[in-house]
Amino acid sequence: MKLIEALEILRAAPKADAPSCKFFLASGFTPLHLTTFLAAELQQRLPTQMVRIETGTFGDVAGSLEGLETRGHTGVAVAMEWPDLDPRLGARRLGARGGDPVELLEASRSALARLEKRLATIAGTLPVAISLPSLPPLPLSPVPGWQASALELGLSTSLARFAEGLAQAGARVVSAQRLAQLSPMADRADLQSDLLAAFPYTRSHASELASLLAQILVPPLPLKGLITDLDGTLWSGILGEDGVAGVAWDLDHHAQRHGLYQQLLRNLADNGVLIAAATKNDAGLVAEALARNDLLLSADRLYPVEANWGAKSASVGRILQAWNVGGDSVAFIDDSAMERAEVAAAHPGLLCLPFPERDDASLLAFLERLRDLFGKPRVLDEDRLRRESLRAARIVREATADPAEASDRFLEQAEAHLELSFAADPGDGRALELVNKTNQFNLNGRRFSEAAWREALARPGAFLLTAAYADKYGPLGRIAVLEGMRDGGGVHLEVFVLSCRAFSRRIEYRLLERLLARFEAQEIAFDFVLTPRNGPVRNFLAGLLGRAPEPPVWLRREDVLAKCPPLYHEVQES
Amino acid sequence: MDRIRTRLLRCFAAVFQGLSEKELEGASLGQVEGWDSVATITLLSLVEEEFGVEFEPQDLERQTSFARILEHLDTKGIA
Repeated sequence: MKLIEALEILRAAPKADAPSCKFFLASGFTPLHLTTFLAAELQQRLPTQMVRIETGTFGDVAGSLEGLETRGHTGVAVAMEWPDLDPRLGARRLGARGGDPVELLEASRSALARLEKRLATIAGTLPVAISLPSLPPLPLSPVPGWQASALELGLSTSLARFAEGLAQAGARVVSAQRLAQLSPMADRADLQSDLLAAFPYTRSHASELASLLAQILVPPLPLKGLITDLDGTLWSGILGEDGVAGVAWDLDHHAQRHGLYQQLLRNLADNGVLIAAATKNDAGLVAEALARNDLLLSADRLYPVEANWGAKSASVGRILQAWNVGGDSVAFIDDSAMERAEVAAAHPGLLCLPFPERDDASLLAFLERLRDLFGKPRVLDEDRLRRESLRAARIVREATADPAEASDRFLEQAEAHLELSFAADPGDGRALELVNKTNQFNLNGRRFSEAAWREALARPGAFLLTAAYADKYGPLGRIAVLEGMRDGGGVHLEVFVLSCRAFSRRIEYRLLERLLARFEAQEIAFDFVLTPRNGPVRNFLAGLLGRAPEPPVWLRREDVLAKCPPLYHEVQES
Repeated sequence: MDRIRTRLLRCFAAVFQGLSEKELEGASLGQVEGWDSVATITLLSLVEEEFGVEFEPQDLERQTSFARILEHLDTKGIA
């Protein structure tokens, strides 16, 4: 991003009457253009809010952070440089003795320990993004530059321990490798600017660093599912021509690139990404190939597998239906440009990517892109349950589509168990994640930053209800979140989301019933807003109201209970 | 020269918001509210970026108005 682009983004940003969010930027140097770039990057990610950046005290990162009042901030960015470890490591201070690094290393360790202590505390309440020193160190040591000096090695070790400790405490550290890809080391330092204005970065480096810090503070929502072709994509070769034993994904057959792709898909699948296959092939032959025990992405990690001779777009449509997710949360990978075009025409929101079959350099970029599209800062238990719970959801959906009596019989025998928690957010972020990614059963589509979520829950009278579900078809994990305020003899529901994996089990009715009972409430007011995608919650409310919901929506206790169908969940409440 | 003036106006407009074109053309340090040392660095960085020039440390103190920066660009042969 150019500086003028950043300034123009900020000029076009929502003004003072818009909701605002405040970030804190801590750096030992004058943050100057880094502030501008960071504000612009964050503004692009939060277009409906007015982004403000507050900066700390020059030359005192630790002191700035120790004096920071976290309440009211949305996140904290820390851009560290060598002088933050010891001022003599920077160009603006003289007196470093690089040949005898013991004192410098001890001072650095002490500075890092102080910073780590404070940052670990902040990371418990706010998103924290940290960039470690990114400039080339000054040539202080008498050891020639092609050899790592004792000072350089000692500082690297201290920084690695510091970063590891902070990551364990929940802070997020900028990837040095990614930064190196975007901003080559030789293009980072601006000594003239450092000496004149205490701003040590070139504009291009400040821009790239700001972009990564902003991505960490406001990460994009990861995609949910990946649909892969088989021939020429998951493996090398044509199954129908080469046979089950003839397709390959290893070095011996010059097909390692497909093995690397399978390996990434397996890792994504094990961390909750939905993986399905769509192939024009004989179904029996595909089943046989997927049963090969040397496949890295084993068949049980693929759900569903659409193997037929029909249009790929139809297969993709059935997969989206089985997953119950929109095409805009999914990527489709195929080596055939024609197939990609056919699928893209039928599913406009779907991201269609080519498998780079012959170009090794672009394969690495492709794998990195996939990881970025699906990657999450942390993986929760619910992520690992997702695939199996979708299989169960399909059974439930099909069974409950039958007439009411049959549906009742099915739900009665399902051995459903609901674990309800009225406790504060357990802190692993699942409740907020569910709120921010649920589209269909979502009362109003409202999204929250971590800080805004914490503030909402900290209000006097606020409540949070989370629900975990299991039945004899398997556990779904935590699948529902209700948040709101107790309001006299009623409750005001501001957030009500239910994972699409948990539809058709009447969980939404049970949740309202327990909410009324818990607070002995006589009525519920709903912050309902119709969105392009929340048809399921609209239909649910319409069923209770006996008409289409129009804000303000509220229901009396007796109306909710009267419309409640038979419920068979065993409920445990805490 | 008109094209350079237009490009320079864009730089000034990005830093000093809400001023008319005439006010920007007459802008100088001490006369425009908000023109402080940070604004000077931001402005000259924008000029460097826009025109592909680099200011030497000894040049910086002289760049105190729209007219002077325009003149500096002219002496650097920016067409």
